[in-house]
Amino acid sequence: MTETLLARSITVSSSQPLLALDDVSMAFRTRRGLFRSGEVTAVAGVSLAIARGETVALVGESGSGKTTVGRVSLRLLQPTSGRVVFDKQDITDVPEERLNWLRKRTAIVFQDPFSSLNPYMTVADLIAEPLVIDGLKDAGVRRAQVRAALAAVDLTPTDRFVNRHPSSMSGGQRQRVGIARALIRNPDYMVADEPVSMVDASSRVEILNLLHGLQRERGVTFLYITHDIASARHFAGRIAVMHLGSIVETGSARQVIDHPVHPYTRALIAAVPEPDPANRFLRRSTEQWQDTPGVAIHADCPHGGSLTLPAVLLEVSGDPGHAVACHLEPPRGR
Amino acid sequence: MTPLLAVDDLHLWYDADGGKVVRAVDGVSFTLEQRGEALGIVGESGSGKSSLALALMRMLPKNVARFDGAVRLAGRELTPLSDDQFRREIRWQRIAMVFQGAMSVLNPVLRIGEQIAEPLLLERRYDKARARARVRDLLERVGLPAGFASRYPHELSGGQRQRIGIATALALDPDVLILDEPTSALDVSVQAQIMNLLKDLKEDPGISMLFITHDIGLASDLCDRIAVTYAGEQMEVGPAERVLVAPRHPYSQLLLASLPRLHSDVPPRTMPGDPPDLTAIPAGCRFHPRCPYAWEDCLNHPPGIPLPDGGHARCWLNDPVVAGDRYQIQLRPTEAARD
Ligand SMILES: Nc1ncnc2c1ncn2[C@@H]1O[C@H](COP(=O)(O)OP(=O)(O)OP(=O)(O)O)[C@@H](O)[C@H]1O
Ligand SMILES: Nc1ncnc2c1ncn2[C@@H]1O[C@H](COP(=O)(O)OP(=O)(O)O)[C@@H](O)[C@H]1O
Ligand code: SF4
Ligand SMILES: [Mg+2]
Ligand SMILES: [Mg+2]
Repeated sequence: MTETLLARSITVSSSQPLLALDDVSMAFRTRRGLFRSGEVTAVAGVSLAIARGETVALVGESGSGKTTVGRVSLRLLQPTSGRVVFDKQDITDVPEERLNWLRKRTAIVFQDPFSSLNPYMTVADLIAEPLVIDGLKDAGVRRAQVRAALAAVDLTPTDRFVNRHPSSMSGGQRQRVGIARALIRNPDYMVADEPVSMVDASSRVEILNLLHGLQRERGVTFLYITHDIASARHFAGRIAVMHLGSIVETGSARQVIDHPVHPYTRALIAAVPEPDPANRFLRRSTEQWQDTPGVAIHADCPHGGSLTLPAVLLEVSGDPGHAVACHLEPPRGR
Repeated sequence: MTPLLAVDDLHLWYDADGGKVVRAVDGVSFTLEQRGEALGIVGESGSGKSSLALALMRMLPKNVARFDGAVRLAGRELTPLSDDQFRREIRWQRIAMVFQGAMSVLNPVLRIGEQIAEPLLLERRYDKARARARVRDLLERVGLPAGFASRYPHELSGGQRQRIGIATALALDPDVLILDEPTSALDVSVQAQIMNLLKDLKEDPGISMLFITHDIGLASDLCDRIAVTYAGEQMEVGPAERVLVAPRHPYSQLLLASLPRLHSDVPPRTMPGDPPDLTAIPAGCRFHPRCPYAWEDCLNHPPGIPLPDGGHARCWLNDPVVAGDRYQIQLRPTEAARD
């Protein structure tokens, strides 16, 4: 039983990832009150590689740094340290005016279909906006592309939707408009940031199936950001669990959920109210994990580890690709 | 025994544009039998859940087209009460509510303590000093330090604001607490904390709850019984442990099958068809346009057919005479639910 210390970049099946984050950290300056200022480390030492056509789910609770990782991966944010590599090109320090090509190949779908769409624009104008920004002048071509995008997200017959306003549509329909807008440039890589958290439970599957279809049919590569770990099992091949800005566990979705190693992952999974008669009236909580970095880690830690030490990702023995963060010594598999 | 809350054939319709009528609550009946019981009202967005809550609180908009039905609280008939009596004796006193999106309901310029004290000071129920002491108790009960009384809403996280909403609703020791999607804007961990608080309040002091949600898993974590709502009607009511594994209405079955399961590889299924338009409810069984089992008899409106566990299901498949060979055949537990 030997555990392998993983290389800093977690290797994936494909030798050439479409997107790679290497030891990325992101600190934000904060201003509180007039004179106090400080720094929040939103992301600390994250390495993640996503193969072409793969879906990786980034799960974790609010404030754990998921959105920040997503935004860094799109170079909407420039990381404080670490490298961002997209399709073999290091984009870490490329200035915005030389990133047009990246903007055309990438897209983001937001959490809140209500606030992210301008209620005064028609569906057609909203979806066509990126094309207008790209300087596509031919209105006929734009219209055709908008219709194709509407059809791709199943808002059909498209005539019934082009002139509507988001305010008159259901949450699920609005999210489809958001996806159509993200699709219009035919991106290779999409970040879907909590795309269904504001959508009814019964309509979530439809939206997730839609994204899944884009992956299968167009080979789109996805970073799926969610706090719904159950959905990650069904819509992502791989999961990375984030806590306090770091990845604490990663592996195939099935392995991480069925055989979690890190105690935080276990707490996160136990917090899910699965509709199962054996799983009712339980006290669920990840509260003991609300520590701030630098404070002694959770009592469950078999080694009494401390977050003051940098964690290393160790591969779980007998489970290739399944890795867990440890501050002191190698974990004992499952 | 007299049930704590008994609702019988409740209707709340709204006038809408073009002379249309929205039948948001359309003949709803249920009971809360005793203290400390929680009933989950589960349904898709637009099925009339919030309207049911507002009807029980008698907080009605101007465009009401129809409002009737019987509501009895511990045997007392509430329907004949004047609006004034209802406001003085029932709303907040006996039936209280935490609103959907309670986070945005808080007044940004009022300190938390003042907001919680509002129902206490109303009608001069408490003097200032007693109100202050009561606010401290309430904050403690929802797990917040007393110092929060002097904070403003923007200084609180989403979960903390939701705790304030709950504290405010508890101010006058109501018998029934209505919670309208109390955690839908929160992430799993904060949601778990709020649910823990609700589980505590259900035990002690034994508050009865109507827990409104679109998430049947969440409902089953807190509730003894579940009422599955569709297009203004209750499709199935029964003990949560039975509804989860052996739903007797096709809609409940599909709702369960649409949830991604944590420990099963059975893929979640999409709900067929479109959500109903409450201004044009289909005749007969209102689920029939989306129901995979529908047949001719489904064009007649099914009653709530009693089930052995005291619940009922509004589907002809549960009536041996009407269903004939179809009787219960289709209603085996779903694969997903059995896992
Ligand atoms: N522009 C910013 N300035 C200052 N702090 C920020 C900024 N953006 C994010 N943060 C902080 O960084 C941390 C991580 O935020 P991030 O939005 O990435 O979390 P998240 O995991 O996406 O959370 P959620 O589930 O709530 O969306 C939080 O503490 C947040 O307050
Ligand atoms: N004040 C109102 N006037 C007209 N229609 C309304 C009003 N409030 C709600 N509705 C409509 O009534 C139906 C049920 O709404 P609601 O009770 O909010 O459902 P839910 O809480 O289940 O989402 C919806 O079609 C909604 O648009
Ligand atoms: S009554 Fe008919 S249409 Fe309605 S749910 Fe039952 S089988 Fe389906
Ligand atoms: Mg986020
Ligand atoms: Mg509602």
